[in-house]
Amino acid sequence: MHEFRTLAILSRFKRIFIKAGIDYGAMETILRMKLTMDGRRTPTIFNGQKKKDGNQFLKSLWIYGLYGLMVIPFLLFGDGHYIFQMSIVFGIIMFILATTMVSDFSSVLLDVRDKTILQTKPVSSKTINTAKIIHILIYMFFITGAFIAIPLVVGLFSKGIVFTLIFLAALLFTMLFIVVMTSLVYFVVLRFFDGEKLKDIINYVQILLSIGVIVGYQIVIRAFDFVDLDLTYTFSWWHLFLPPMWFGAAFELLLNQDYSNVLILLSVLALLVPIISMYIYVRLMPSFERNMDKLMSESKNRKKKSSWWVDVWAKLCCRNREEKTFFRFGALMMQQEREFKLKVYPSLGFSLVFPFIFIFMELQTRTLADISTGKMFLLIYFGNMMIPTIIHTMQFSVNYKGNWLFMAAPIQKPAAAYSGTLKAFLVKLYMPVFVLLSIAFIAIFSWRIVPDLFAVLLGAILQTLLTYKWLNSSTFPFTQSFEFAQSEGSAKLFLVTLLAGIFVVGHLIALAITGGIYVYIALLLIAIFIGWRKVFPMKNDVPVR
Amino acid sequence: MEVSEKVLSIRNLTKSYGGHAVLNGVNLEVERGQIIGYIGPNGAGKSTTVKIMLGMIQDYEGQVVIFGEDIASGDPSYKKRIGYVPEQAELYDNLTALEYLAFTGELYGLDRAFVEEKAQKLMVEFELGDVMHSRLSSFSKGMRQKVLIISSLLHNPDLLFFDEPLSGLDANSMMVIREMLAQLAAQGKTIFYSSHIMDVVEKISNRIVLLVKGTVVADGSFEELQEMSEEGSLSDIFNQLTGFTDHASRAERFISIVEDGTADA
Repeated sequence: MHEFRTLAILSRFKRIFIKAGIDYGAMETILRMKLTMDGRRTPTIFNGQKKKDGNQFLKSLWIYGLYGLMVIPFLLFGDGHYIFQMSIVFGIIMFILATTMVSDFSSVLLDVRDKTILQTKPVSSKTINTAKIIHILIYMFFITGAFIAIPLVVGLFSKGIVFTLIFLAALLFTMLFIVVMTSLVYFVVLRFFDGEKLKDIINYVQILLSIGVIVGYQIVIRAFDFVDLDLTYTFSWWHLFLPPMWFGAAFELLLNQDYSNVLILLSVLALLVPIISMYIYVRLMPSFERNMDKLMSESKNRKKKSSWWVDVWAKLCCRNREEKTFFRFGALMMQQEREFKLKVYPSLGFSLVFPFIFIFMELQTRTLADISTGKMFLLIYFGNMMIPTIIHTMQFSVNYKGNWLFMAAPIQKPAAAYSGTLKAFLVKLYMPVFVLLSIAFIAIFSWRIVPDLFAVLLGAILQTLLTYKWLNSSTFPFTQSFEFAQSEGSAKLFLVTLLAGIFVVGHLIALAITGGIYVYIALLLIAIFIGWRKVFPMKNDVPVR
Repeated sequence: MEVSEKVLSIRNLTKSYGGHAVLNGVNLEVERGQIIGYIGPNGAGKSTTVKIMLGMIQDYEGQVVIFGEDIASGDPSYKKRIGYVPEQAELYDNLTALEYLAFTGELYGLDRAFVEEKAQKLMVEFELGDVMHSRLSSFSKGMRQKVLIISSLLHNPDLLFFDEPLSGLDANSMMVIREMLAQLAAQGKTIFYSSHIMDVVEKISNRIVLLVKGTVVADGSFEELQEMSEEGSLSDIFNQLTGFTDHASRAERFISIVEDGTADA
């Protein structure tokens, strides 16, 4: 085990820890073990390919550096109105920190292995918990550092040294606040719900993060025109509940020497709330640990979820029993596997949002009535962009080791496996998005686009089939480790994404000819009908006794 | 069916992974109604044999005939009469117990309504009635094991492969399973039982097959094995036949190192 520089720096504060009654040697040992494990948590690729070395986390930090650029405009514009610009800056920082905290460090905070491995050893729980917090804080420092480094330099040159110092101090409090607040939220959730619920909540926050970053980026780019300088701040009571405002107020107070009561109140909150919540957290830690048992224990009995409509669809679109079986299996996996949802639901979100973002962009120059007569409804093809990602992800599962079942079971028609799963994808994930988009588009473009929408749907089905044919190599869905998901075929994935463009071109050609759309629809139907049978042959080609 | 009492026959089965031979010509004939204790040290090739018989490993040499049919033919139908409990309880964790069992049953060609009802009844018998709609990820080792055992029996198979089926089960459940195995064998089912727990194997099997380094080194009833080696219990026989005789001196050395460890005091 090699020595970590982080730990060397930490040892400077050894005395503080010892004074607080912490076994520093034990804490250091725990941290060294944790950091070593983090360094090995790498996507390894077998088959003699090169193994990636080093801490993948540290190598992914540049992404945060990129996100950090998003903050700079708010630092530069709106001169002197710190309460506005810094509130926005801290709002962004808090969003990024809180969501990464939930998505990346929940596993650290909720690691139940700690309980059996560490708590059985002669180390006080105070030491273990401190090690946990320090472990998270180390990473938070790295993330915040990467995120804020460039804005900080920009701030130093444009606003001066005092500003930078206040910025640093505020960042420290923000970090503390976020880490402690997240833990407290977990505590409350675990207190009232079971572990499965908490895992679901974390899952949805992770999905929200991925959507939030992309959509937020789109919005920020368009927000450049908000350089409205004639703002004056008026206090409302609900500002007290917006943590970013506390920090914004502190800048206003210290740099603009505005000593009004509300600003003092808000600034005091910025200082006190992190400290008080830290205190509460330390007091609650023991009962937090107790509630963590729920993560390991079996959950309460639940009612059987009715899935009659899955059954109806299975009957409608599957050709044989094995296909129906996989249809239901696929539907369940897509609905219940968190890792799958995490990888896939963001693209569902984009599919839903992107067509509208482009329509809004058009609205800047044209009226809605003007748009509604044209061919802008083809933007609905952005909804089909999700298809490659999802079909690619279908190969993988966290529980891929459960795949022995497919080899041990007497499956007569292996082709039924993917055929059923793809149909489940179309019904369960694609259709809801498509129907929502269609309703909105019919509202905008009137009923005249119904044949076009039908062509889009058929295009999506054909694209699903072609994407599967090109991307997926395994016989059964959900049978490979996610470790392979990143490395393999991401270039291929990109190329396949462009496939959607071919359907747009086809659609445009069909529109150029009178009645062409119906010919196009007929062609698509034939292609789907023949293609599906070709890709998934289900004649009994295995001899039956 | 009277003539073909032979359920399973393995002839000269060989399998190697990258030049390293795991199975060196295994020969085995199994008749209906036998409980075979399939034992051997770690890495002897027990799981590999079972996986080959289940069609999970295809590139082997030799012949495997199950229910009178060479499994190399590629027709998976013979698996409909086989139940399998793997050593590792790997399941699709995000499904509920009932969803998983219904899925398994359907893969074995059973009607869904039928398999759901059957699975529910079996889970109630196994004291899983309260958790059948909970996700498998929240199940303990023993509960998962019970789900696996149920999944291997849903289709009323004639041949069972049980790999360490009692792991994680409490003493009461173990008794149920042991009794169950005896009754299944009495009804003419054939059971292939792999385990490291020798006294269980000794008690339940009527035939013991010992595999060492990919070869069958002993094959017979417990009494026959006793005569062969003049040892008392099955685990003594196991030690002798696998050539492991220095356990006492090893333990002694181990203890002396433990007691000597005063370096950090």
